[in-house]
Amino acid sequence: MLKKILIANRGEIACRVMETCQKMGIATVAIYSDADKLAKHVSMADEAYNVGPAPTAESYLQIDKIMEVINRSGADGVHPGYGFLSENAEFSRRLKEAGIAFIGPDEKAVAAMGDKITSKRLAAEAGVSTIPGFDGVIQDADQAATVAAEIGYPVMVKATAGGGGKGMRVASGADDIAEAFRAASSEALSGFGDDRVFIEKFIVQPRHIEIQVLADKQGKTLYLNERECSLQRRHQKVIEEAPSAFVTPEVRQAMGEQSVKLAQAVGYHSAGTVEFIMDADKKFYFLEMNTRLQVEHPVTEMTTGLDLVEQMIRVASGESLSMSQEQIGINGWSMEARVYAEDPARGFLPSIGRLIDYKEPSGEGVRVDSGTFEGGEVSIYYDPMIAKLIVWGKDREQARQRLMEALDSFDIRGVTTNLVFLNALVSHPAFASGEISTGFIGEEFPDGYSGDGGNDQQKELFAVIAGYLRAETRLRAADVHASDADSPWKILKRTGSAS
Amino acid sequence: MNSIADELQRRHQLAELGGGQKRIDAQHNKGKLTARERLLLLLDENSFTEFDALKQHRCQDFGMAGQQFPGDGVVTGYGHINGRLVFVFSQDFTVFGGSLSETNAEKICKVMDKAMEMGAPLIGLNDSGGARIQEGVASLGGYADIFLRNVEASGVIPQLSIVMGPCAGGAVYSPAITDFIGMVKDTSYMFVTGPDVVKTVTHEEVTAEELGGASTHATKSGVCDITFENDVEAMRQTRRLFDFLPLNNLDSAPTYPCDDPFDRHEPSLNTLIPESDTQPYEIRELIEKVVDHRDFYEIQPDYARNILIGFGRMEGKTVGIVANNPAVLAGVLDIDSSRKAARFIRFCDAFNIPVITFVDVPGFMPGTQQERGGIIKHGAKLLYAYAEATVPKLTLITRKAYGGAYDVMSSKHLKSDLNLAWPTAEIAVMGAKGAVEILNRREIASAEDPAVEALKLETSYKERFANPFIAAERGYVDEVISPDSTREILCKSLRMLENKSVKKPFKKHGNIPL
Repeated sequence: MLKKILIANRGEIACRVMETCQKMGIATVAIYSDADKLAKHVSMADEAYNVGPAPTAESYLQIDKIMEVINRSGADGVHPGYGFLSENAEFSRRLKEAGIAFIGPDEKAVAAMGDKITSKRLAAEAGVSTIPGFDGVIQDADQAATVAAEIGYPVMVKATAGGGGKGMRVASGADDIAEAFRAASSEALSGFGDDRVFIEKFIVQPRHIEIQVLADKQGKTLYLNERECSLQRRHQKVIEEAPSAFVTPEVRQAMGEQSVKLAQAVGYHSAGTVEFIMDADKKFYFLEMNTRLQVEHPVTEMTTGLDLVEQMIRVASGESLSMSQEQIGINGWSMEARVYAEDPARGFLPSIGRLIDYKEPSGEGVRVDSGTFEGGEVSIYYDPMIAKLIVWGKDREQARQRLMEALDSFDIRGVTTNLVFLNALVSHPAFASGEISTGFIGEEFPDGYSGDGGNDQQKELFAVIAGYLRAETRLRAADVHASDADSPWKILKRTGSAS
Repeated sequence: MNSIADELQRRHQLAELGGGQKRIDAQHNKGKLTARERLLLLLDENSFTEFDALKQHRCQDFGMAGQQFPGDGVVTGYGHINGRLVFVFSQDFTVFGGSLSETNAEKICKVMDKAMEMGAPLIGLNDSGGARIQEGVASLGGYADIFLRNVEASGVIPQLSIVMGPCAGGAVYSPAITDFIGMVKDTSYMFVTGPDVVKTVTHEEVTAEELGGASTHATKSGVCDITFENDVEAMRQTRRLFDFLPLNNLDSAPTYPCDDPFDRHEPSLNTLIPESDTQPYEIRELIEKVVDHRDFYEIQPDYARNILIGFGRMEGKTVGIVANNPAVLAGVLDIDSSRKAARFIRFCDAFNIPVITFVDVPGFMPGTQQERGGIIKHGAKLLYAYAEATVPKLTLITRKAYGGAYDVMSSKHLKSDLNLAWPTAEIAVMGAKGAVEILNRREIASAEDPAVEALKLETSYKERFANPFIAAERGYVDEVISPDSTREILCKSLRMLENKSVKKPFKKHGNIPL
């Protein structure tokens, strides 16, 4: 077993990893930038080392400096968290050379899955369903029509150099394909100076469903079921849950087995996530594989009872997984909301500043993963995520209710947060019924969210709360001691001691 | 007998109606409450007892003899605010525009005299068009009778003026003498001469609101201490302010029930002071996290914002708080902020309210504007007020305490009872940059790279002076404390200082540099 782990990260994930280390009796080493001197992850760690100025490129991404800290501290393992160096081949290689355990997959698996084209090819070879498409460049409208007919409508004509929704056209039938081809390529030319386009299946009402896999170095690979992350804003996940309200046991099993196959095909060990897109008919297609711990991993932990970080550490230490696929169940329901310092009323503009008040919600089934504290700072240098609010319920509705209540009782002042927006999402009837897709936020909240002013029932509730507070203040005020009885006024005045 | 009872009832009914339903409606249409409605909101339920409800004017000129309204345009009497005695007068705009007559002034003087005998505060609700012109000098005399009583009562009982309508000409000097002036936004104004006279004399075009509205006095002149959105808020907030004040200068401030632990630690204060000593921070956060229940009643929040003043409580007992505000002009002391704080400190001293001072001050404001404005004398007022005060005085230096401003801000040398410092305190004659430029001018000039040399010297100056140790070694700072324990230490110190008494040399009164 590893003795001392360096966490090459900051914020909530660094704290999250340290918690497990502490539980397992493993010493922890933090690294921090100048801006993070007083950060929570620094005070939590057994040792902490400064690795440079605030910008990540000069501190948290400085492989040389981190290697030096590993050397000085005598750490024998490194957990990279997510982001930063978690999928950096150079970092993995350097650790391997130094004989330090990297708590994550092998660098080859990282490299294979890091490339979109290779990963898609590997997935297809491993028998994972991929989005039907033609992976060559379409030459003209006629070829576009032929290819589209083979794939089956609706299809999407996409610029190879594309991004941000530009150079993309949907053709719902043979009548539109020529026009879609023409529009996409001309837009691609004007937008990216490159008119090459390709065609793939267009997914109607897509949902983002991903499978958590866990593999040891001995070759045992398990799937820990799915998470649904369809509530996204500009490809940024906002609310995640496990399981998915949309996935049936058969589909789950098929997705899980395909994911295991893919993981085995690339010799994967540690925790990883295979992301799929799913259409309205529950047909699912491979998107990519993330070779690290995901931000939303807690919902899987809450429903499987497993500590993923612990499992990663055990695997990295060479232990084999002690459970079998049959033992992996789904207990209840879990949801996660990402609490950001951003202003939903102003285009989700990041908000920075001091957390004047910061009180996390608590209660049955409530878990908060955070890396900050009252008096902490949301700085311009890092991701403005303040905390992850995770709830567990015996079923989806209980989890949802608990999430709403927890969001309401989260007390953050000093920066603007997305708490009200999160609550608007969670209390939305479509979310309540599970009728969501990746386009949901864009369609329902195109201009962000600035509060709905509350319904009559909520207003009444507020009036009751205000009334209660007023009554309390009044009662307090009514008890003001008027020291009239023994006032020196009359005594001193009457005796002439004070004139 | 019946007829007398009937007549009494008729007169009381008339008094209740003031200037009549039509004028009451007009008052309401302006968004204002009537004199009586205001008192109902200000005082505890059923606690108001009226004097002179049937008093009438004696004017015979200009056809006044036939125009009588029982009460004559002002409602006076006493009542209670949360059970504590207060004398009140409320001018009735519906009767002759609330104008001040001889009899009207007699009524006001009667409650003022009573307040002084009983040692209870006075609250005046001003809503008056001015002197009653028909009465001539009798009306002017009435004003002066009130002014005299205001002055005599000053420092004996708290006097509050709430301006809820016009208050113009000589009338302004009664509120001006009182301890605090509140004004209602958009419906009140105060000026010595109105827009018409201004136009005739100086040819300036100005509206009443621009000349003397609540926002003008709250932000520009500093005449207004508290602004209110409307009459209802004005009355509720006045009650809140009243609860902080003692009844008279021999009393202590009232004790509020408090379940906020005296030793409540606030770890977040450990990170309040930013890394860079030029970066501003919000001093209100410190105040709110230190006082009971985060209840801080700020006075003059929009005037001279580089200093903050107001009332809070520690373990239920009222304290006055003065704090440099690093978020505005780096918290520098200038003419306005010195005057603002000085008057507040004198109020606290007069009424046995301990003063807590939070210091983060880079010095006095330089410039011709300040010097020509008399910063010397105005700054001296603050110094005078601190030195003169005999109430418990507690000082906490959070960051900068530079130069003469260090001395002025309730330093040990001015007989402050307890001087504390956070580890971030820097007590020095000036900041590192300025000091090095003077002390090491030649070394810097002759250095190969003057900028590098200056920086080196600055760093060494900072190491030596940018900390509380030198002051602590000399006992100018009693204790260097951890920011999170600020409340606990202040509460304990206030307990210790509760019975502080100081003998002052006999004097008729001092000669504060006015």
